[in-house]
Amino acid sequence: MTQLQTVAADAWRTQIEAAITQRGERFGGAWVTADRHWRALLVKGADARVISCQAGERVDSIVDLVPAAGWDEREAHDLHALSFDGHDQLRALIEHPTQGERWITPVRGDGVHQVAVGPIHAGVIESGHFRFHVVGERILHLDTRLFYKHRGLEQAAVGSTPQEGLRHAGRACGACAVANSLAYAHAVEDASGLWPSPELRRQRTVLLELERVYNHLNDISAICAGVGYAAGTMAFAAHKDRAQNLNARAFGHRFLFGSVAVGGAARALPAPAAAELRGGLAELRGDVLASWRELEFAGSLHARMDAVGVLPAEAALRLGTVGPAARAAGVAIDARVGERRLEYDALRPAAAPRPDGDVEARFQLRAAELEVSFELLDELLRAPLPASAATRGLRASPVGVGRVESPRGETVCIVELQAGRVGRLHLRSAAYANWPSVAHASAGNLLPDFPLINKSFELCYACCDR
Amino acid sequence: MNLPAALAQLVGVVAAPLLPGLIQSLKARLQGRRGPSPLQPYRTLRRLWRRSRVQPAGAGAVYRLAPAVVAACMLIAVAIVPVAGRGGSFGLGHDALTLLGVLALSRFVTAAAAWETGNGFALMGAARELTVAVSVEALLLLTLLLAALAGHGTDLRLLSATGAGWAPWRSLAHWSGLLAFGLVVLAETGRQPIDNPDTHLELTMIHEGPLLEYAGPDLALLQWAAAARHWVVMVLGAELFLPHPAGFLIGLVALAGLLAAQCTALAVIETAQAKMRLLRVPVLVGFAGVVVLAAIFIRAAGVSA
Repeated sequence: MTQLQTVAADAWRTQIEAAITQRGERFGGAWVTADRHWRALLVKGADARVISCQAGERVDSIVDLVPAAGWDEREAHDLHALSFDGHDQLRALIEHPTQGERWITPVRGDGVHQVAVGPIHAGVIESGHFRFHVVGERILHLDTRLFYKHRGLEQAAVGSTPQEGLRHAGRACGACAVANSLAYAHAVEDASGLWPSPELRRQRTVLLELERVYNHLNDISAICAGVGYAAGTMAFAAHKDRAQNLNARAFGHRFLFGSVAVGGAARALPAPAAAELRGGLAELRGDVLASWRELEFAGSLHARMDAVGVLPAEAALRLGTVGPAARAAGVAIDARVGERRLEYDALRPAAAPRPDGDVEARFQLRAAELEVSFELLDELLRAPLPASAATRGLRASPVGVGRVESPRGETVCIVELQAGRVGRLHLRSAAYANWPSVAHASAGNLLPDFPLINKSFELCYACCDR
Repeated sequence: MNLPAALAQLVGVVAAPLLPGLIQSLKARLQGRRGPSPLQPYRTLRRLWRRSRVQPAGAGAVYRLAPAVVAACMLIAVAIVPVAGRGGSFGLGHDALTLLGVLALSRFVTAAAAWETGNGFALMGAARELTVAVSVEALLLLTLLLAALAGHGTDLRLLSATGAGWAPWRSLAHWSGLLAFGLVVLAETGRQPIDNPDTHLELTMIHEGPLLEYAGPDLALLQWAAAARHWVVMVLGAELFLPHPAGFLIGLVALAGLLAAQCTALAVIETAQAKMRLLRVPVLVGFAGVVVLAAIFIRAAGVSA
């Protein structure tokens, strides 16, 4: 059960400061409720609590204490007209004003000019606009403008039953379908006092790791594509496709859509299917390992990644970076560790082969994590996955919190139930948390290296366009 | 006019798109894809040729004339480069330095067109192309000088005859020339590890950048010019620095084989090599330049004939 602590609005800053500096808690997102409460999630390991204040029209900004809250405050301003004292130049995030000065950071100096890329790209890429401030080929600063396809999913879910709400959360993004659905399911179960049975925990863990496997394979392929290393791109794209075909055979969908249900399992995986999936994964694992060994000897590939797009550990902590990007910088944040709603007792998190925070580190870490996921799946799929339900018996939380480690990092879903229906849904995916880190890691690098840096994070746009 | 040689050169005008087509096709096979047919560039040219001309606002005379000028430059270049040691003498001569000038002119016109429209990606690509060209053109000049020292002249027919047979391979300088010219071929054809012709990432483009705004027949001309550049440097490579026989007819057969071999080599390199970091390219070209300079000194000093 998640604690909810309401504080006075003028104590907001001091409370947050105490949580971060004295209690060693980490900021995990903030949101506005229908009755204009401004709430923040504070996490420490597997524990989480919510702190709340009655905001009204304005509230003190915490962006100087917690830079990771920058986007949350800008979003609250754009969507809920909440103002923040002390957040100067509260630049537009979701709103897209025509005046450049309302969202572009002013960068001046000799020979400084802007390069605009997107929102329409030449490849199969979602809508996002990047405004580079450069001198020659050197990036000084990057302003990102995403949220082009805001769908109002969070608002659309209000008033729906917890089961219907899953349709909104689960369809936010294709590549994170399981993570988003599961975060939502956990949030609802937290809010209604449900606890998953061991079989359900196992099945959900399998789904989450299947999603991680195909995403990590895709990311390795994408990084190779970023430097034009065709052999690696094609090999790992083929592996990714095989992984997705295994998903489809076992759970009926290549992106695992519809595989998660609230309060139970969406479908069972009988013994023959589980054995088939396990066999297919073992075969894939061998081939992936062989391809990875070949990549390790591709000198021209590694020459491009070393010391490029560096995200130092200090910056990762400050910006609230999560997932492989944080771990590759030496910040050991993993929502799987200690997660009791899932079956991660056997998890031995991969040690970052080189925690330098550059593209090479993120590349290497993904391969190491693939091995861990394959190992976990092999263990979890020894037995069939029967359909199983969550059991009642816990105290319901006033605010339901679901935290799930998606392939990109910790995805947080908040569900507040009112009379059995969704009163507030908030989805803060790992991509949302990590976009500011992409901009930070790009500064100081060469413009033609940006696609590579961007792909080494491989964040979703759709996860933000919710 | 030497009619058979003139005809052979005209084949170059028609056959040029086959070279990038062949490279693409081989690359696809090497990557485990089915890939397009080697004739795909012809289909692309036909498709583009039928389309209407769309031009960006603010396009002036330089932008409009650039495709025709670039194509004309490459047509002249094809006419200058002898095939199997012979040339049709279209009144242009076969001088190596003229060729160098024509190649540089086409590059300059492309960059000027990018400057006129002011498109960010076009300018970025043009700036990079010129940066790379500074070193690559110097390298091309040095390698041609190296060959000219052996042939005692800059007439490409003469240089082709000098490079024929097995005798030149006894000189270390000739091997150096081969090495350096290999790099020239990679750079001039816009291939990896220097440029990535397949990329859709505007931020990484070099040669493709200035072409982004062109459409229809203009783009067709520019794409044919890029293919003709493949033809010019690869024929030059085969004539000057790859082993080839002295006779015309047997030379034609050898040339076909050598072109196919170069396409295969480019496809293999492009599959096995990632693109280099942009600022490393001049270093690599500079290294090859030093090798050629050393070879020029050796040859000029007459250490080995």
